[in-house]
Amino acid sequence: MNILRRTLLASTAAALVGLGGTAWAQMTHPETGEPLAEVQEFTYRVLDDFPSIDPSLIQDVSGSEVGRDLFEGLLNEDAAGEPIPGVATSWEVSDDGLTYTFTLRDNAKWSNGDPVTAGDFVYSWRRAADPATASEYSWYLEVMGLENAGAVTAGEMAPDQLGVRAIDDLTLEVTIDAPRPYFPQMTTFPTTFPLHQATIEAHGDDWTRPGNMVSNGAYVLTDYVPQERLVRERNEMYWDNDNTIIDKVTALIINDENVALTRYLAGELDMTEVPTGQFPRLSQEYPDQAISFPSSCSYYYLFNHSDSGPEALNDVRVRQALSMAVDRDVIVNNILAGGQKPAYTFTHWAVAGWEQPEMDIANMTQDERNERARELITEAGYGIGGEPLTFEILYNTSDANRSIATAISQMWKQTLGVEATLANQEWSTYLDTRGNQNFEVARAAWCADYNEPSTYLDLFVSDSGYNDGKFVNADLDALMAEAKTAEDPMPLYQQVEQIASENAAIIPIYHYASVRMMSEDLENFPTENFLQNWYSKDLYISAGE
Amino acid sequence: MLSFVARRIAVAIPTLLILIVFSFVVMFAAPGGPFDSERPLPAQVLANIEARYGLDQPYWRQIVDYVWGVVIHFDFGPSFQYRDRSVNDIIAQGFPVTLTYGIWSALVAVVVGVSLGTAAALRQNSWLDYLAVGVTIGAQALPNFVMAPVLILVFTLMLGWLPGGGWNGGQWTHVIMPVIALSTSYMASIARIMRSSMLETLNSNFIRTARAKGLPMSRVIWRHAMKPALLPVISYLGPAMVGMITGSVIVDVIFSTGGIGSYFVNSAFNRDYAVIMGITILVGALTISFNLLVDILYAWIDPKIRY
Repeated sequence: MNILRRTLLASTAAALVGLGGTAWAQMTHPETGEPLAEVQEFTYRVLDDFPSIDPSLIQDVSGSEVGRDLFEGLLNEDAAGEPIPGVATSWEVSDDGLTYTFTLRDNAKWSNGDPVTAGDFVYSWRRAADPATASEYSWYLEVMGLENAGAVTAGEMAPDQLGVRAIDDLTLEVTIDAPRPYFPQMTTFPTTFPLHQATIEAHGDDWTRPGNMVSNGAYVLTDYVPQERLVRERNEMYWDNDNTIIDKVTALIINDENVALTRYLAGELDMTEVPTGQFPRLSQEYPDQAISFPSSCSYYYLFNHSDSGPEALNDVRVRQALSMAVDRDVIVNNILAGGQKPAYTFTHWAVAGWEQPEMDIANMTQDERNERARELITEAGYGIGGEPLTFEILYNTSDANRSIATAISQMWKQTLGVEATLANQEWSTYLDTRGNQNFEVARAAWCADYNEPSTYLDLFVSDSGYNDGKFVNADLDALMAEAKTAEDPMPLYQQVEQIASENAAIIPIYHYASVRMMSEDLENFPTENFLQNWYSKDLYISAGE
Repeated sequence: MLSFVARRIAVAIPTLLILIVFSFVVMFAAPGGPFDSERPLPAQVLANIEARYGLDQPYWRQIVDYVWGVVIHFDFGPSFQYRDRSVNDIIAQGFPVTLTYGIWSALVAVVVGVSLGTAAALRQNSWLDYLAVGVTIGAQALPNFVMAPVLILVFTLMLGWLPGGGWNGGQWTHVIMPVIALSTSYMASIARIMRSSMLETLNSNFIRTARAKGLPMSRVIWRHAMKPALLPVISYLGPAMVGMITGSVIVDVIFSTGGIGSYFVNSAFNRDYAVIMGITILVGALTISFNLLVDILYAWIDPKIRY
């Protein structure tokens, strides 16, 4: 064979391999027609290592992101967060709203080629509820209303008593304890993903290792170095593999956000968070890459309403004054400066269907608020000319929390003559102190579990386990109870916010934004999904200009 | 000598036991627990988890079970924070990483530090001496949490020569910056110790005798001065070696090496009891071993010392 012929053959072979290996090379996006980059790889930063990537045990946001790529539940979410078919193609609900019947697709496969069956869901849900699994998220099944979930988790019933069963391989029947219109949406959560029983039984606790794990999502786990990286690559067995564009997704674990930003700028990452305060500079330098979109958390200050709290804070006028004297615009625009919004309600402004109710505090200018605050504190007999008022602001150690606490204590001092000192504690100690009401005023934040105001407002209910300020209001409790079954609960939720505001139950400070650097070529990231549930299979890398 | 080593090992065991008990006491005294979060777990769920990890047992029982597991099965228990891994997994994965960059750092620190210190001592009060002293003071004053991000800024962002982090199985490009960041301050300390001890040695009588006999300077240094001058460096190196091979929080956090250093702080923050214990025991055992090694080296270098 002469050299020319050999070269020709080799290049033909290479071209063939090229075509087969990267099906999307030099192709266009099937829907938008946009030219696609030859290399379809997505690399993003996560702050910390994953506590677990076992769907039954996943308990954090970044673990859920991995879970949604590796596994697929009954339903997925679209870019707006609405449920769309996943393994289930359709479902029916009984007239009493208590029984759901899901029909599964017949082409869903595990990464080893086995079909995904209803039994895989039954196995997974029982495993998550089983006390022996000791999942932190076993309570999720109870929140879903799954029949007997509480009793199974408590060890009072065997896991097979759980309200889920396989009618046949492709039909899953779920029984819940009360009608819950949002039930289907809840099956997009990792705790509900199916699991491959044979794999877990064969490998035990090691089943989540690369090489051992069998999964049914658009990706399979190919590499995982704890505290360093986690890599997932296209699952050839996935039923919708033909429409998956990204070939490889890498999560790099980078604890330090400034280092992550440097590495982003050096081209090592396609997505990272922007450190507090740097958004204005970055959005000027990189207007196409620095973006800000709503993120589901609310930042607030908690009053200790309980007996262990300071007496002055039992006076609603004092609490009102403190709330009004906080200039939220300064905090949002001068300290955070990342597209966050000032908050006058606990409910995040971007929650679906939410409209802020009429509230005095929201309509005033800051000068008016300061004026009113001074009147109120004088009436109560404190502040400038009155009894001196001093207390402590508790927060968990972080630069942003310190900056905000410093600003607020200054605002209180200047406007009201109140002396607030700062006390920071590391996370676990802070939670302990807060949970035991050993504080006066404490920083807190809450993120939505689902896209509805009650995910926040439940914290105001007297007997809520999350009510660390021990705020008690019977009217509010009654409204929240009514909202559970109401046709249109929104007006009730608005009233709840009004009551909370009139009583200054908390000081809402700002609504979070997710502030990121994102490569210009990374497309289709669902910034409109309020809970930011993204799926790598929906993303793609455009060819750019 | 053998009986000395045997005695030291015999003392090491109760020392480690005291270390374990003391760590347990301090650990349990810290408020909060491993399963705290902003949304407290329902009591039943928490009870299930605590039962699984034996945290529902009385403290003394937990300590006894733990020691038993370590001694009999060499099992350091499960991690509470990283539920897919055991402490053995964590150490098996992270320790080789820190060991790699730690040994390189030690080599760099010793070679550069000793050379620099010796050169400075030999040319005392010359420009070389001032330069060496200047460099070491600068290197010691520059904290590695400042130096590490600056290295990334320069070598990754500006020059584009080295990857900004990760380990990649210990590929050399990933090792360079952690080694520089970790070794610099050790190198500076070694250089300063070496300089002063070399100066002292050079002024002692036996060196004067050697020189009076007409030995060339290089032979005086290598044959006579080096060994005694190294003694203080070696006693410094005992604990310093442990510090280097168990890694550094800063290096692991900034360079995302996946080494064991990041667990020092994380496990304490997370109240990840078994990981705290595993790492404490690892560092304790290494400290004891290296101190023993230093003592043995001492006897070998300095004929005046007999155990």
